[in-house]
Amino acid sequence: MVSPAIALAFIPLLLTVLIRCRFYFVLFYRAVLVRIWRDCVTGLSREERAYQYVLTHATPGDPDSILEAFDVWCSKVEFISTIGPKKGKVLDRMLMEQSPLTVLELGSHCGYTTVRIARSLPLGARLYSVEMDQRNAAIAEKIIRLAGFDDDTVELIVNPSDEVIPRLRSEYGLERLDFVFMDHWKKCYLPDLQMLEGTGLLGKGSMIVADNVLFPGAPKFLRYIRKCGLYEWKVHRATLEYSRGIRDGMAELVFQGIK
Amino acid sequence: MTRDSLITSENDVDIGLEFEGLEDEVDTFQEEHERERHRGKRRDGERAKKKKRGNGERRKRASNAGQEEEKLQARREKKGRRKRSSSDQQAEGREGDEAEQPTTKSSKAAKTRKNVKNEKTRKVEKEEKEDEADDEERNAKRKKKHGSNNKEENVEDGNKHTVKEKAGEVKKKKHKKVVETSSEKETSEEEDSEEEDSEEKEVRPETLTPEELETLKEAVDERKKLIQGLRGKPWAMKKKLVTLRESQEFVEKYEGALGKGKGRKLYAYKVMMTKKWMKFKRDFENFKTACIPWEMKIKEIESHFGSSVASYFIFLRWMYGINMILFCLTFGLVMVPEALMGRPYGTIPRKTVPRAEAPSAMDFAVLWDFGGYAQYSVLFYGYYNNQRAIGWLKFRMPLSYFLVGVGTVAYSYMVVIRTMARNANESGVGDDNSFNFSWKMFTSWDYLIGNPETADNKFASITTIFKEAILEEQESRKDDNIHLTRFLRVLANFLVLCCLAGSGYLIYFVVRRSQKFALDGLENHTWWERNEVNMVMSLLGMFCPMLFDVISALENYHPRVALQWQLGRIFALFLGNLYTFIIALMDEINLKREEEKIVKFNITTWEASLYNISASENSTAPPVTIQPADVPRGPCWETMVGQEFVRLMISDTMTTYITLLIGDFLRAVLVRFLNYCWCWDLEAGFPSYSEFDVSGNVLGLIFNQGMIWMGAFYAPCLPALNLLRLHVSMYLQCWAVMCCNVPQERVFKASGSNNFYMAMLLVILFLSTLPAIYTIVTIPPSFDCGPFSGKKHMFDVIQETLESDFPAWISKVFSSASNPGLVLPFILLMVLAIYYLQSTSKSYKEANVDLKKKLQTQNEENKKKNKLAALKAQMDLEEARKATSPSAEHQKNNNASPDQEADEEEDRGRGQRMYHSQNGRSPPPPRHDGYLPATRAPVPRNYHHGNQGSAGYLPGFPRESEARMHRVSSLQRH
Repeated sequence: MVSPAIALAFIPLLLTVLIRCRFYFVLFYRAVLVRIWRDCVTGLSREERAYQYVLTHATPGDPDSILEAFDVWCSKVEFISTIGPKKGKVLDRMLMEQSPLTVLELGSHCGYTTVRIARSLPLGARLYSVEMDQRNAAIAEKIIRLAGFDDDTVELIVNPSDEVIPRLRSEYGLERLDFVFMDHWKKCYLPDLQMLEGTGLLGKGSMIVADNVLFPGAPKFLRYIRKCGLYEWKVHRATLEYSRGIRDGMAELVFQGIK
Repeated sequence: MTRDSLITSENDVDIGLEFEGLEDEVDTFQEEHERERHRGKRRDGERAKKKKRGNGERRKRASNAGQEEEKLQARREKKGRRKRSSSDQQAEGREGDEAEQPTTKSSKAAKTRKNVKNEKTRKVEKEEKEDEADDEERNAKRKKKHGSNNKEENVEDGNKHTVKEKAGEVKKKKHKKVVETSSEKETSEEEDSEEEDSEEKEVRPETLTPEELETLKEAVDERKKLIQGLRGKPWAMKKKLVTLRESQEFVEKYEGALGKGKGRKLYAYKVMMTKKWMKFKRDFENFKTACIPWEMKIKEIESHFGSSVASYFIFLRWMYGINMILFCLTFGLVMVPEALMGRPYGTIPRKTVPRAEAPSAMDFAVLWDFGGYAQYSVLFYGYYNNQRAIGWLKFRMPLSYFLVGVGTVAYSYMVVIRTMARNANESGVGDDNSFNFSWKMFTSWDYLIGNPETADNKFASITTIFKEAILEEQESRKDDNIHLTRFLRVLANFLVLCCLAGSGYLIYFVVRRSQKFALDGLENHTWWERNEVNMVMSLLGMFCPMLFDVISALENYHPRVALQWQLGRIFALFLGNLYTFIIALMDEINLKREEEKIVKFNITTWEASLYNISASENSTAPPVTIQPADVPRGPCWETMVGQEFVRLMISDTMTTYITLLIGDFLRAVLVRFLNYCWCWDLEAGFPSYSEFDVSGNVLGLIFNQGMIWMGAFYAPCLPALNLLRLHVSMYLQCWAVMCCNVPQERVFKASGSNNFYMAMLLVILFLSTLPAIYTIVTIPPSFDCGPFSGKKHMFDVIQETLESDFPAWISKVFSSASNPGLVLPFILLMVLAIYYLQSTSKSYKEANVDLKKKLQTQNEENKKKNKLAALKAQMDLEEARKATSPSAEHQKNNNASPDQEADEEEDRGRGQRMYHSQNGRSPPPPRHDGYLPATRAPVPRNYHHGNQGSAGYLPGFPRESEARMHRVSSLQRH
């Protein structure tokens, strides 16, 4: 039998761990526990609740107000993994500098990032947004239309990304992608990137931005871009959206082509 | 001939000066059109100067000057200004002029034929050399340097044989003078050509005449000097490299050729031996570095982790050295003599395992409990006998034991204090604050590095150092909300205090419980309960620092300050733990002494009964022999204390290693290999790899050492065990650091904290010797074990030795010396001496500070002065630029009337004065008044004095311009 004194000696360790990981505990509470509870109480999915909130709190046709409503909901009420306002600013800046004409977004979830990108696109640019989940796609569609973007600007493709990418050239008549934003399953980052390389849609100067490369993290993806030498890359270090203490990063890749 | 040459050389210098000096004042004496023409030429000349080939320009100028000189001279003679000049000088000047006139005509052609000339000249040069061999020995070096110049001249001279030799020489030397003041480009070029011709000459060294050899030797010496002084030359790096390579080649080639016959061989041998010796020295240096234990390992770690982590390992190595000495002392003077010469195991009760313990004496647990056979061996105090002298050497065992015990402590004090003093000296010397980055930039590379791997490491290390410096700079510039920071700091300290109090109470509680267990009898309790004290102490020592670390994140200190706070807190924690432990131990000692009294009484009764039995049976029968294992004995408290310390050390070591293996290695393995199948990035995200915890490790080391100092008197094996531990942990930690740790996120340097470690070590030393000395002095030793058994106090052994082993007068001296009447004045004297030394050191320190201040102010002043001078020069230059165009026009409109001339002269004089005041530091060379130049070349003076000032910054010119100016002024006086 272990004596109680020895057990007591472990208290400092416990405290240390608690303090060190407090942000993770908070995140766990907000993203998992609250979600389960709300699901049971309301009978709606998380995305539907978010849509309801946005519908009641935002001005239709005004992307800024919609984004603001989203931010408020995500930081005050529940947690949804979007790009968030801070990393979003970085994204806006990149779009401004690049002013791409053809943009591909992998993983639109409930449309926050789609609206964000479409907002800062130049005239005549076109955004293809890929979403796998049917229900999420429906909500994303609603939100995009609520923000006032029509079919010509934003085209929502409801399919898994690994099916969509090989058909981009043939079905959607794309010649070149200027900007690719990845925010879907972290495990798919690497295969999708390689698939994009294979289709030949990436030209010199095409920019690829991948969110959440540090947390939850895409180590294989990072290792690949470090090694392959096709890209000029850097990681913008930031914190996880709507949370202070968890470090996260956004990878910015510029395709250089084979030298 | 020699006298002649002497004269000419003297003259030529003057003429050269004169010649240049006249260039300035030409516009006073010249016609306008001429002036303009000349200006154009000068501009041409300047352009040419920029080109590599400066000689052509010079020649042109010279010839030009020659032309104008004549006119000027005519005018001057008309004016009668030069009446006082001596006739022979005039003649000389004329000769010079005559020599120069034809040159002018041929100069342009000569310029175009340069290439052809070069080849031709070599031959001529050679002839010339032979001719002048006798009288030129004095000037040989110079000549060689400016050989090419001479060559060209010789061509010119060769063209017209009508010129007298003397005149030619004068002219030549004039040129030489010009060349000497020219820029380095030329010089190097000349050297090149010189090399060429010397090569040509030295193809067959056997046929050299002694003079040639002499010149060659001088050339080689010159080269060597050049190589040595190359570093300080203000040249471009590329040029330096080229020059260096060429010079080295030259020296290599011709060094061996010097000397002749036997001498040459000897010389070559000498050169070879010097090279071999240098190589040997370098190898020896490498060998010496290789001999420093773990140096390479530590350097590698330093290159990867920065100096703070390396400082821990250096400290560990230092500790190892000290423990080595302690180990040698105890092992050589106590353990080995006892094992060799003392009574062997089993002869007397204290050297035998008692009957009750015998069955379990060889258990495996002996290895960590140090009971059984280990307890009854040289490893512990109780084994030693109180026999005064052992073996055939008459080794005074008890005395040796006592002296070694005292000596180890004294040695440790000495070493620690000495190191502290040395560190303090080192930190006081450098001026760290100013030019921090420049120092690092220009002095950090280690030119001794030979192999690429080390170079890589050094490179990494320098980059780390730069990072550290930049970080430090950033830290020093930050400022935040001060009230919030203060509040957070107070809060953090409060939390830490709570934590300390909690841990102290826990240990107190555990110790009390363990006493209860001890009273009950240890056999009734589980292993956990028996080892509760050690376990709790180790666990608290392991986890509390982690908590402190988390708390210290609140405080937002600079990492070095944070490290010191952390060290202080852990220090307090460990100290509290240790002293609780010692208090518990004291209680136990008292218990044992109670027990001892009972045992003592029992033994007397037991002996009496034994005696009675034997007496009652048969008084004449031999006494019953009793096995020493059966003899009852007291609970030897000294051995108990020693055992406790050994156990503590073992458990401490085990905890350290296990923490290392689990906390670092296992974590690293998990992070590395689980990362393939985990939902977030383990390496960059949460668990990550561990960082090396400098403060915790240093304190662990220090406290471990404290335990050694405390326990070494009662367990002579402790230094040996510690040595083993340090050795293992050196390798283990080096490996662990390189294998499973990542460099700290906030790298910083720990140069300042070295003395901090030392100070802590000193405190620990004091605190750990305190209880040891207390027990030695106050508690009487056990009656039946140890070297001091049967004495009232342990230190009685000294008195005993004094009385019995030394002559009577020494003991008398000692006894009278210990008289308070003598001791008190001595102590007083010592206090006075300390006071005196302290005050002197204080005054020295003040003087040092003053000197430093003085240096700093001087530096600043110099800087200011330089800045001012540069500013002035710049302004002058600008003015000059502005002035050049209008002044040219203005002068064009002027008539060359004498009034105008006078005005201009006045102007010039003023300008001159200004110039002199500006350059007041270097006074012009003294001149002989009666002397006047025979020739003057009406070359336009520089358009503006400021222009000259700026020209003074060019490497070749400053002296020349000053001399020139002075000449002018002296001229005016006449």
